[in-house]
Amino acid sequence: MTIEATTKSTVDAMVLQHEVEQFLYHEAALLDSHSYDEWVDLFTADAHYFMPLRRTMTRRQLHLEFTKPGEMAYFDEDKNWLEIRAKKFATGTSWAEDPPSRTRHLITNVRIVEDDGDELAVHSNFLLYRTRLKNDVDQWVGRREDRLRRVGTGLAIVKRFIYLDQTVLQSGNLSTFF
Amino acid sequence: MTDVPRAVDRLDDLVSLDTGEIDRTIFSDQEIFDLEMKNIFGRAWLFLCHDTQIPKRGDFFEAPMGSDNVLVVRQRDGSIRAFLNTCSHRGNAVCRAEEGNVRNFMCTYHGWTFGLDGELVGVPGKSIFYKDKLDLSKHPLRKVAQLDTYRGFVFATFDETAPPLEDYLGATGRLGLDMIAERGDMEAVPGVQKFTVHTNWKFTVDNVFDYYHPQITHMSAFSVGLIPAPPDDFVEGGAKSDTGANLEVPFLPTDLHNFVVVGEYGHAISGPDQESLEVTAGTEPFAWRHKPEVEARLGRHGGRVAGHPHIFPSTWVTTNAQLSLRVPRSPDVTEIWWFSFRDRNSSADEQAASLDSQIHFFGPAGMLEQEDGENWAQSTLQTKGLKSREIPQLLKMGLGTSEVVKEDGLAFMDAPINEHAQLWTYHAWREWLRNPSWEELRERTIPRDRY
Ligand code: FES
Ligand SMILES: [Fe+2]
Repeated sequence: MTIEATTKSTVDAMVLQHEVEQFLYHEAALLDSHSYDEWVDLFTADAHYFMPLRRTMTRRQLHLEFTKPGEMAYFDEDKNWLEIRAKKFATGTSWAEDPPSRTRHLITNVRIVEDDGDELAVHSNFLLYRTRLKNDVDQWVGRREDRLRRVGTGLAIVKRFIYLDQTVLQSGNLSTFF
Repeated sequence: MTDVPRAVDRLDDLVSLDTGEIDRTIFSDQEIFDLEMKNIFGRAWLFLCHDTQIPKRGDFFEAPMGSDNVLVVRQRDGSIRAFLNTCSHRGNAVCRAEEGNVRNFMCTYHGWTFGLDGELVGVPGKSIFYKDKLDLSKHPLRKVAQLDTYRGFVFATFDETAPPLEDYLGATGRLGLDMIAERGDMEAVPGVQKFTVHTNWKFTVDNVFDYYHPQITHMSAFSVGLIPAPPDDFVEGGAKSDTGANLEVPFLPTDLHNFVVVGEYGHAISGPDQESLEVTAGTEPFAWRHKPEVEARLGRHGGRVAGHPHIFPSTWVTTNAQLSLRVPRSPDVTEIWWFSFRDRNSSADEQAASLDSQIHFFGPAGMLEQEDGENWAQSTLQTKGLKSREIPQLLKMGLGTSEVVKEDGLAFMDAPINEHAQLWTYHAWREWLRNPSWEELRERTIPRDRY
């Protein structure tokens, strides 16, 4: 391989990394500004959004730590359910978010682990910080496994699996998105 | 500090069946909480898990029993035992996983090892250090006093004098569990949701019967059609928004037709009557009960239940095959655990539809339960103010207007939305706190003829 070719593939990788990161940051900004309709628009019609339960298991049985689709979960959504959730937040009577939570989605450790031309597998870590009312604080840390699809307008989310770093949830609800 | 009498010394004043008033201090008083742990959770039959969660030998599930945690373990002979998750040597938890499968439990402090039956079977240095003077048979994991199952639901009590489980449940408690068991060949869906609400556990319990709150608390769920309501039927003028506009509070045909069952030891059922709910929601969600054998087993009155059964002190059965445990951790911290069930004989599509509804209604991300926690957390906070806590908690709705009918072992009332079951629960709660004998407790929780 020539030096030019090596440089070109590195630059291509950096451009792609940049595009993916900007997409995830844009998405986070939509969530933090409660622009849920626009956020749901980032998902494909066949999207699957899933947050399993997690259980404290011994190392030997760690393969059973997370529940799987078809088992109990916190979120197991198709695009229709995401739309209903967004609509519910917009009713004006969704008291869990009125006064609204203040959230900050910090997205880090973005890695493109697979690229087949049409779709990308992207892993990232997140810290979602939320405060409510005068002094309620929740923090959720975890990782996400996304599948992003190249569409006319850029990228869209086909699949998002969210793995929280908690077993007994320390918060009173999950009235937000990850 | 003025000499305010301690709440534990004035149990008589804390709950009034005549005025429907409750003393707010019971939601944050540490001494009350300690007494609850001792006299209620230290004696009652408590739900631990479902039989199908631990099918194989060595399967275990850790469950709360009041201020203790127990390991529920499938034995070699297929039976189930439960013991405190604390090492008989120096107290360490002998198991740090929430569930799993083991051959034995080895304590990670000094290595004492316990069999599935809780017997101490291994002690490092038994000969060299202990000189064979330690009698292993004297130091097993401590067992619960009694353990039994009702239709696959595993319960235990720390009180060896407690009546048998079926008697404790009575017709009301059994009917509650039948609402899951009668649906088919039921098994637990893998995964128990667990989350933490900063509230007193009793707020999470009395809410089980509260059919007055969904119209407001869950108004957004009505708006997006999650709870079916007739499109144009609203109650005007009750609730107004902060701009003065009338809130369109949905009004359901079931609101006038609630069916309330109150039972000994404090069990209760409250909510819509089956027939009126089917008019609102369509018959489909209740197809499972329109079989002659099921109808016969539920009975003519039991078959009318379409609301929420509650097994005293802290186990709620929903209308979509879920069971929720309200787990008190401190006066103002409660964990909520959700167990979900499915019919083994139903099709993959039916199972998926059932799971879909279980995930989307309850649990921390559930589109109903998202809204509940903050109401309870704020209610708990306001029981701490010197002046705020002097205001009584009101459970007056329908007070004194309902005849109790006693038939087929059930005591029930027909009424519009009301607060009978909540008040019943607090009445029983107070009687439990007095720590009477089981016979006295049963007598004091025999329903009267009118509420
Ligand atoms: S505390 Fe368990 S072996 Fe010592
Ligand atoms: Fe509710």
